[in-house]
Parts: sequence; structure tokens; C-alpha cells
Amino acid sequence: MHHFVVDHWSQSDSPLHRRDARAKLFVLVATLLAVATAPAQFQWTGVGLAAPILAGFLIARIPLGAALLRGLVVLPFTATFALISYVGGDVERAAALLWKSYLSGLAVLLAVSTTPFPHFLRAAEWWGTPSFLVTVIQFVYRYLFVISEQVQHMRMAAACRGSGGRGWLFQRDHVAAAAGAVSVLFSRSMARAEGIHRAMIARGFRGHILTLDSPRFGWLDVVFAVAAAGGLIALRIVLGRVS
Amino acid sequence: MHIPDGFLSAPVWLSLDLAALPAVAYVARRAQSEAPENQIPLLGAMGAFVFAAQMINFPVGAGTSGHLLGSALLALVLGPAAACVVMTAILMIQALVFQDGGVLALGANTFNMSLAGVAAGYLPWRLWGAAQWRKFAVFAGGMLSVLVGAALAFTELWFSGVPMPRPLLVLSGGLFLLAGAIEGGITLAVFQAVERMNRSWVRDPRTFPLIPQAAVTAAAAILAMVGVLAASAAPDILESFSRAIGLGGKERALVATPFGGYEAEFIRSSWLSKATAGLAGLVAVVLCVWAWGRFLARRRNA
Repeated sequence: MHHFVVDHWSQSDSPLHRRDARAKLFVLVATLLAVATAPAQFQWTGVGLAAPILAGFLIARIPLGAALLRGLVVLPFTATFALISYVGGDVERAAALLWKSYLSGLAVLLAVSTTPFPHFLRAAEWWGTPSFLVTVIQFVYRYLFVISEQVQHMRMAAACRGSGGRGWLFQRDHVAAAAGAVSVLFSRSMARAEGIHRAMIARGFRGHILTLDSPRFGWLDVVFAVAAAGGLIALRIVLGRVS
Repeated sequence: MHIPDGFLSAPVWLSLDLAALPAVAYVARRAQSEAPENQIPLLGAMGAFVFAAQMINFPVGAGTSGHLLGSALLALVLGPAAACVVMTAILMIQALVFQDGGVLALGANTFNMSLAGVAAGYLPWRLWGAAQWRKFAVFAGGMLSVLVGAALAFTELWFSGVPMPRPLLVLSGGLFLLAGAIEGGITLAVFQAVERMNRSWVRDPRTFPLIPQAAVTAAAAILAMVGVLAASAAPDILESFSRAIGLGGKERALVATPFGGYEAEFIRSSWLSKATAGLAGLVAVVLCVWAWGRFLARRRNA
């Protein structure tokens, strides 16, 4: 699955991986701001802002081709509106919708590919995200793949029993069967939540997830945050004047 | 409908981010106070359940299938505040891990699908969930959660200058109506199946009396602010008539007010000035009605 690749990338080692998650989150927001507020012309601004993001993938030693392909997930939504703009004669807006959303997606991918997700969430909490929300996100993320695997087993079992496909006529029985499958999944999720809670109490859970390592915000992180964010904003201003 | 970064104009995403931040902080605090400690893993498991349940296809005829979106179902099972927190958690994971929806646009997506989507999904249940209209309430909740989220997303895109030709709006409107009906049907089917397994898993609709009031208040505030902008600049019947008989331009205001001409004099920006005037008008009407109600209630009790 998609997450395994990104999780795998985030466990690697590089100068970018070693930076504190809070600094990376700060630089990510600066990058997104630079892209969002940039003029529409791709010729200067698009290429100019793509360069540091692509350089980030190279520094982080993340396979560039695979990353560029993963960034394309934004296109189904974007391409629809870009096509409408293109048909309406606004070619510049069509291009801007495509490159801005693609670059923004790549910037987020670079950030999460160089930071383990729990560290990323802890950084978000440090920047003001409610801790209760962060705890819920951690639980959702932790159990997302466990419960998804449960669904895969259920789908396989249903297929082995000759479960109906996509018929041309609306069949109430098929809908009832699918609803039953979802309700079984629901009950299993409830049961799993109870089991998880008992296990967590046994491990000392008091309403907040604790981690063994405490992140340090060193002077290298400060330099990285200031230089990268400042550099991107400066680049955005220069490119804005050039184009 | 997850809006990616690069679509919304800066004023739109910034104002929605600023609006969503305190709203999410409020619902998180409320959900935390309502949910005992042992509910936290439940919220996580329910979030994961919604993700996973989207992999189960419901055949809807014509060779196609749909899947559960889940915000209305979460609201019925967890209550609106906890459902908002779980939906926000799902949106954050989708934006950060799966690049589905933007990070700067997270405020807009949270507002559309989590805050407004859950409120719209819960409102029919709150109003009719305890009566004989129970099934309709569940269906309408599922349908409304999709329609409200989509309508808000299209409005934000339109405000950001994304072209919205009429054929696209008509086609999208039809598709979203269909998607809403499918979501309503799936939510009802799953709700009935869950209720058959264990009745206690479904929440009593009378638990949260403030939610519909808050939703109606928010809708009224948005209508008051946006409605003034969308109102026609052409003269109304009385103004046209007064012009026709030669009285146009001779009217004189007896009292100068800060919101004359539906514009706040102290704000320079045209749209902000009109929106503020609309909101001020709404507040004035609410205060008048509230004061009149208090007066009548006292007279009746005297």
C-alpha cells in the first residue's frame, strides 16, 4: 500500500531526515505559501519553485521518479477544472491549477517522506494543534491498516462465496449484504477498540500517548528553518518581480 | 470532495483556516469533556472503520457501485462533537499521508466536510430521530452531509475565481444529488444493520440540544453575509415607483447610521463592508426578537 512506501522512506537517513519535525513543518508551510501566492506563469515561477523541492528529494535520497509519480494523485481533481479553464480559453489559469497543486502535493510528500508520521504529529501539536485531536489521529493512523486488512479478508471471504458484483439492476439483497458486512466490520472495530483500551491501560495509558524519545530543536534546525523558509520566500519575491 | 492546494485564493483559504482553527479547538475540547478516557481508542477505531468501510462497495445499479462516506453515520454513533474530531483526523491523514486535499486548504476541507458536513448529517437526526420519521432522518442526514460539503466547496472555488460554467454546475449538481441519495441510502442500510446488532451503539438524538441551534445560527450568519453581496443592485419596486413619479433622489435620512445603504462606513473594503452590514443587521434583528420575546414572556407570567 501507498503508506508503506512513504513510511519506509521516512525511516531512512539523510540530512533532511535528521532535521527536527517542527522545523520541517515550518518550512513546509512557507513552501506552500510561496507556491500558493506565486504568479500564474509557469515559465519562471513554476520552474523556480520546483527546483528547491526536487533538490529536497535528491538530498533526502528518495527515488525521484517514484516520488514524481506519487505526486500525480492530485491530478484527477485538478485536471477537471484545468480542462474547463483551458476550454474556456484561460490557458494560463489551467496551467497554474495544474502546476501549483502538483508542486504543493510534492512539497507535502517530501515533508512526510522525511519525517516519521508520529514525529510529524508531535510537531503539529507543538505548533498548536489540539492534543486531543492529535491523540485521535495517532489512533486512527495506528489502526487504519489493521482494520483495512480485516476488510480485505472479509472481501476475499465474500468473493469466495460468490458475492455479487456490479449488476445492471438495483438489487436490494446485494445492498443489504454489503450493509451487513459494514455492520460486522463496525462491531469488530468496537470490539477491537475495547481490547486496545484494556491493553493500553495495562501499559500505563492515561489519556495521552507518550513516546520514549524526546526531540531536540538544535541550532542546525534553527539554521535550516530560517534559511530554507527565508530562501523560499525570497525566491518567491524575486520570481514574482521577474515574471 | 477534497480541495487541493493551489485552487483557493489567499483570502478564501486564509479566512477558512482562521475560522476552522477555533472551531476545531472548540469541538475537540467539547468532545474531550464528553468522552471518557476509554472512548479515545473508540474514536480512533471509528476513524479507521470509516477509512476501511470505504473499501466495501455497494452495488447501486447500472453497473456501478458506491461506498460509504461516513460523516453522518459517525455523528449518529459518536455524537456530533466526537464525529467532527474523527472526521478532522481523517482529513488530516488524507492530506498529509495520501496527498488527498491540500494542507493550506485543510481549513476549507475541514469546514466543508467535518464541521458543516457533520452538522448537516446530524441535524435531521436531532429534529426527527426520535419520532416516526426516524428512517427519513437517517437518509436525509447522509444526503445532506454530501450536498452541504459539495455546495460549500463549489462556493469557495467560485469565490476564488475558478471558472464555473453553467453546464458544469448543472452536471455537478445532478451528480452530487445522485451521490447524496446513494450516501443517504447506504447510511440508512448500515445504520439499520448496526442497530439490529446492538441498539445501544446508536446515540439518543436528544443528547445535544445546542447543535441544530448552532447550525441554524451559522447558516443565518453566512446567508446574511453572502446574501448582501449577491443581492441585486437594481432599485426595488418602491424606489422605481418613486423615480417614475419624480420623487427619486429627494428622500432624506432623519438619522445617520453607521450601516446606511447596507454598507459599514468604517470599513473601506467594499465586500467586507457589505458583509459586516449584513451581519450587523442579523444581530440587530436577533436582539429585537429576543427582547420582544422576553417582554411578552414577562407579561404572560405577571
